[in-house]
Amino acid sequence: MEITPKLTFLGMTFDLTVMIGTTIAALLVIILVFFLTRKLTMRPTGKQNIMEMIVDFIRGITNMMLEDKQAAKYLSFAITTFLFILVANMLGVIVMINSHGAVPAFGLTGDAEVSWFKSPTSDINVTVALAFAISLYAHFAGIRKNPRGYVAHYFKPYWPMFPLHIIDELAKPTTHAARLWANIFAGEVLITILVSGAPYLTALPLFAWLGFSIFVGCIQAYIFTVLAIVYISQQIASDH
Amino acid sequence: MTILAGGIMIAFAAIAAGIGNALLFSKYLEGIARQPEAQGKLFGQAMIAVGLVEALPIIAIAFGILVLFGIVG
Repeated sequence: MEITPKLTFLGMTFDLTVMIGTTIAALLVIILVFFLTRKLTMRPTGKQNIMEMIVDFIRGITNMMLEDKQAAKYLSFAITTFLFILVANMLGVIVMINSHGAVPAFGLTGDAEVSWFKSPTSDINVTVALAFAISLYAHFAGIRKNPRGYVAHYFKPYWPMFPLHIIDELAKPTTHAARLWANIFAGEVLITILVSGAPYLTALPLFAWLGFSIFVGCIQAYIFTVLAIVYISQQIASDH
Repeated sequence: MTILAGGIMIAFAAIAAGIGNALLFSKYLEGIARQPEAQGKLFGQAMIAVGLVEALPIIAIAFGILVLFGIVG
């Protein structure tokens, strides 16, 4: 199992690998979207088609879960979430940089495998931060929309259900984060094991698993976005 | 002992994932057999359901790996 270089600043510990990974993923998304949206025309050609395909795909999610007006409002949020997580999942499949031995500058001693570059989503802190932020926003949106209804929904259909509602609200961000982290983490561990094995035995399984990792990365990015929109829509849905 | 614990966690996760996916895809194939024209629609839905079903076994596998390498427990 690899360890990561860490930096201590003002009593807080920062994980360098995760910071590099998230920065590169964010930059890649910005560059990708910037170049795909240059010279927009009414009749889309080439790269504009790709961007419109992505937007239509995400619009399918938001229109499925939300009312029309709110779907337009949350479309850009859903696109950002999807693209960031998709790129972050793909980073570790394409490039993984490990080094061997101690790195005294970052407090790593002993003979250990040091990971310098991997998917940022294979670190649980990143996914918990994403899921917790989305959960906080969902509650905030629910309170802003209807404060009385927000408090009342904890006691529906009758007050003994209150503990179950609390557990439900805590379980949502926990499973939301753990689902993404566990998929990417298990994938990367298996890739590392297969790479370090005997090449004539593990080459074929490695190729199969790399293909499966790309599939899992896409599916999990999609599911993370769907669940984020579902959790928000549960809070802001108006009762008919 | 930790190797045994990690191995048991991963093994049970694999068994559970196998049962879950088998139930899911058997229903998916039944749906296609009844209504072959709905295949495109069902495929997308089945893939989302696979992603949701796979989550719990893969969480167990991730913690199994952590136990196996002696990081947790």
